[in-house]
Amino acid sequence: MGRGKESSPSSSIDSSSHPALSTASSLSQPRRDLSTDLRLGLSLSTSSPQDSSSSARGQLSDWPPIKPLLRSTLTEKGRQIQRQSATFFVKVYMEGIPIGRKLDLLALDGYDGLITTLRRMFRTSIMCPDIARVPTNNKDHVLTYEDKEGDWMMVGDVPWEYDSCQLYSSLHPSICHCLLFFLLSPKSLTFGLSRMFLTTVKRMKIARADKC
Amino acid sequence: MREERSDMSEDEDGGGGSAKSRGGGGAPPPFSDQVLENVLENVLQFLSSRGDRNAASLVCRSWYRAEAQTRRELFIGNCYAVSPRRATERFRRVRAVVLKGKPRFADFGLIPNNWGAHFHPWVCAMAAAYPWLEKICLKRMSVADGDLSLLAYSFPNFKELSLICCEGFSTAGLAVIAEKCRHLRVLDLIEDYLEDDEDEMSDWMSRFPETTTSLESLVFDCVGSAVNFEALEALVTRSPALRRLRVNHHVSVEQLRRLMALAPQLTHLGTGSFGSAAAAIPQGGNNVVDLVNTFAASKSLVCLSGFRDVAPQYLPAIYPVCANLTSLNFSFADISAEELNPVIRHCHNLQNFWVLDTVRDEGLQAVAATCKDLRELRVFPVDPTEDSEVSVSDVGLVAISEGCRKLRSILYFCQQMTNAAVVTMSKNCQDLVVFRLCIMGRHRPDHVTEEPMDEGFGAIVMNCKKLRRLSVSGLLTDKAFAYIGKYGKLVRTLSVAFAGNSDLALRYVLEGCTKLQKLEIRDSPFGDSALLAGLHHYYNMRFLWMSSCKLSVRGCNEVAQRLPHLVVEVIRDRDEDDDGEFVEKLYMYRSLAGPRTDAPPFVKIL
Repeated sequence: MGRGKESSPSSSIDSSSHPALSTASSLSQPRRDLSTDLRLGLSLSTSSPQDSSSSARGQLSDWPPIKPLLRSTLTEKGRQIQRQSATFFVKVYMEGIPIGRKLDLLALDGYDGLITTLRRMFRTSIMCPDIARVPTNNKDHVLTYEDKEGDWMMVGDVPWEYDSCQLYSSLHPSICHCLLFFLLSPKSLTFGLSRMFLTTVKRMKIARADKC
Repeated sequence: MREERSDMSEDEDGGGGSAKSRGGGGAPPPFSDQVLENVLENVLQFLSSRGDRNAASLVCRSWYRAEAQTRRELFIGNCYAVSPRRATERFRRVRAVVLKGKPRFADFGLIPNNWGAHFHPWVCAMAAAYPWLEKICLKRMSVADGDLSLLAYSFPNFKELSLICCEGFSTAGLAVIAEKCRHLRVLDLIEDYLEDDEDEMSDWMSRFPETTTSLESLVFDCVGSAVNFEALEALVTRSPALRRLRVNHHVSVEQLRRLMALAPQLTHLGTGSFGSAAAAIPQGGNNVVDLVNTFAASKSLVCLSGFRDVAPQYLPAIYPVCANLTSLNFSFADISAEELNPVIRHCHNLQNFWVLDTVRDEGLQAVAATCKDLRELRVFPVDPTEDSEVSVSDVGLVAISEGCRKLRSILYFCQQMTNAAVVTMSKNCQDLVVFRLCIMGRHRPDHVTEEPMDEGFGAIVMNCKKLRRLSVSGLLTDKAFAYIGKYGKLVRTLSVAFAGNSDLALRYVLEGCTKLQKLEIRDSPFGDSALLAGLHHYYNMRFLWMSSCKLSVRGCNEVAQRLPHLVVEVIRDRDEDDDGEFVEKLYMYRSLAGPRTDAPPFVKIL
């Protein structure tokens, strides 16, 4: 009878006191693995489909029997290899311009990077939603995206990607300095916890603010 | 790499307390007997094997005393099997001590922190009893900085310290050792976990004596904090006897080159990161050329390890030494088969090879084609999970078995395996002493026939007549264990995980493997009746570990009652409640010392 445990407190020996690992706690380790799985899922690189029955069992921190230092060092390396090879290009159009651009979302680190890169690419200021303010300049643009269901949504409402520690907090610092424009459509309110930007975006459009 | 340590896992029974040994000497013998004893001592001092010494000590009281007086190296395979006082009272002239603590499954987080294996009582006893002590080797012990300090102050002639898989100490302890042990020859830190607070790290490298040192071996690749490089350079400069140097990953390849230039006499080198420091100014191809020249000048190198962040452009620098290498450890280097090939092609003399599965079956085929003298192979998974991509498989195993006929020891992690491949290896590699196959998917069968892996492991025990250590994995029924019990007559260490159908499996092993010393089992359906089937044998074993099996407190209690010299520990995870009938973790071992007094609250001794 195997009891598949996630990293239990009793396995703290492999989290608190080894030299090569940075301050990751044993608690965040399984979640880091999940985000790696997510990236793999949406990267268009070809990893062969795995044995589906075993993926349902969950990861054990003490199986296979690898010493923690080796495991942490290799996991870090494995993640670096994945990061280097995984890409996710999406099309971006500016309203009024027929030729679009392509952008690798995995090369960016969140909405900050996205807005900065797009501003540079399209040489325009882009607003993002924030709750309490009102647009003042109708010549600005807003960033929208088409999600998997075919709806056009405002960029910035949902988390960039799954992150156990910061489900929503990563959004607000990057938004608070932007001009406010919040479109109160029913659909923008129905985001669920499972809807992260990276997993749901298909393509993006920079639309004129006065048209939204 | 650790060839001198490989004895640890195949060690023989004995040490300070074989369960059959008698107590101390009694009244001093008459004069003529004293003369005889002196003569005997002169003879016995040449006896080095502890198995032989244990046998000699059982002949009669006189031999017992003579042997006790002449034993120079004391080996304690389980620190709780005998008390420090008893050991130091019997053996009074010891110069070297080897001490082992926690069971091996502690390496994988199966044993909670603070379980025990404290060095403290031992160092206190030895400080009093062995002022002339020269050498200490600890494995899986809990060592505090205070213990290292006591060691440094108590043994003026101290020469060699080896700490393997230990924890509890920090760079502060190392600083005291460096400063006070003026005759230090060996400081080997191997796979230890140092407790270092980032703000309070000690510059231990600067504390070595300013004069010429007698250092022969300095191994610190497991130390997580950077060392003072100038101090290290200066130390190497004034250590003409240095032969083994293994630096940690903070040492860049440029720094390594400087160290190597100072010590061309090195035989064992741990290369640290083998990548560029971030701040290094790239000098184009000059860097690599300098590195190649430096390696070319190191004509004595036989063992290479490290490569923690290997930059592929630097790898060709090691070509000049490949032909002399007997040992190569690439277990931290994620290189492909294409990157491995030009290196391994030159390694005709390689005997030990540790590598990551990123080299795939193709890489192993290249190894098999060149390394005809290979004795030990370890293949580690870069992605140690059950669902990772297949990179090495039965194909690689068969290739190795066909190319490396002298193979003695193999550790092979893989996602899938076939019985046929294992059978082939059993027939090709008759010298196998250690066979450890880890199919990472739990309960995974032969991926071609979908059958259990029984026949493969059965062939191993049947055909490899020298087999002493076995680790099994994959889908295994009781039949596999029937084979092991029937044919594994020399097996001393057996590791079982997620295997077997019923108690029969464990019975087969306990009844059949007469030389079994160490048995570690996890997540297998073995219960009390199987446990009780081994009563006749437990006094002959170093230990038995069983976790996540089907044991109950009642069964373990019965063992404890029937075998009074067995310490039966029931360990529970900290956050679970007491008083369950179910035993999560059982660790039991013979002992002359009785139940230990330093057990933490989560350990219950029955």
